Amino acid sequence: MQTALDTLSAVRDTAIALLDADAAQQAPQGIERVMLASDKLPVVLVVVLIIWFGLLFLLFRTDWRISRIEKELNETETSA
Amino acid sequence: MTSTDRDNLMLPPRGIGYRVFTIIVAVWMTTVVCFGILGHISNLPILEHTARNLYFHVPMWFTLMIGWFVTAYHSLRLLVTRRRIHDVRAEQAALIATVFGVLGLTTGIVWARFTWYTGTNIWWNGDPRQVMVAVQLLICGAYFVLRSALDDERQRARLAAVYALFATVTMPFLMYVLPRRMESLHPGAEGNPAFSQMDIAPEMRWVFYASAIGFLMLFRWIYTLRVRMRAAEIRVSELRAANWP
Repeated sequence: MQTALDTLSAVRDTAIALLDADAAQQAPQGIERVMLASDKLPVVLVVVLIIWFGLLFLLFRTDWRISRIEKELNETETSA
Repeated sequence: MTSTDRDNLMLPPRGIGYRVFTIIVAVWMTTVVCFGILGHISNLPILEHTARNLYFHVPMWFTLMIGWFVTAYHSLRLLVTRRRIHDVRAEQAALIATVFGVLGLTTGIVWARFTWYTGTNIWWNGDPRQVMVAVQLLICGAYFVLRSALDDERQRARLAAVYALFATVTMPFLMYVLPRRMESLHPGAEGNPAFSQMDIAPEMRWVFYASAIGFLMLFRWIYTLRVRMRAAEIRVSELRAANWP
């Protein structure tokens, strides 16, 4: 009798644990709710945006450096 | 370098209009990327989500062609005016346009491998449009080979300008006319209009147009930077030569 009760308790605990895990898998929380939607395309978007913002940073920085070189050149050639 | 050449290479400083333009390009292309990846697309068999490559792969070809038209324009101006800045502009436009062309070919190979050639190990099947584009890029590459073969600056500029004009003339035939006349898996073959299966969703068409314009603006920005950089390089080298004992 005690063994049967112990077995039933164990089965009950396992079922609760599995249901909790299943519930957790079916309902993504927080940021996963957004990122795992739409065939995970938001993940692709974030990857591409990281690359794009990196390239943009490079473009703006190159622009700034060229402006500085041009300014120095203009001053040098004017004073020469 | 004569004082005229020096004046030609002393480009006017970039004003507020240019700054606004760069910010517009940044915001425009970010928006295109967001809509391109998350926007609604037609449900196409085989292509599935790769249909989104339409927004990124096809504008590469527009940029290649327009870039080489810019090269041709400055090549013609060089032959007429003999001003060095036109050689700088022609070379940089050709360089960036060719880079876009190589990116277009590479992205096209990847796209085809996992759509037309799924289940095979084929990356290249001699598709007419792919072959024509590869030939076109070889013609574009020969421009740089020609430039590197000549030491005299003025001769290099003039010969490269003449070659660039011929290279640009081949472009509409190899990239547009001939592929449309031949059997191909590529959209637009055998006389049919391109994208006939892809623009069922109107929102795809608008994102595509925005992307094409965005990549052309991006070309313009990179081209401006490269021209300024190259002009500054030449001015620095001439200053160094003048100060050399």
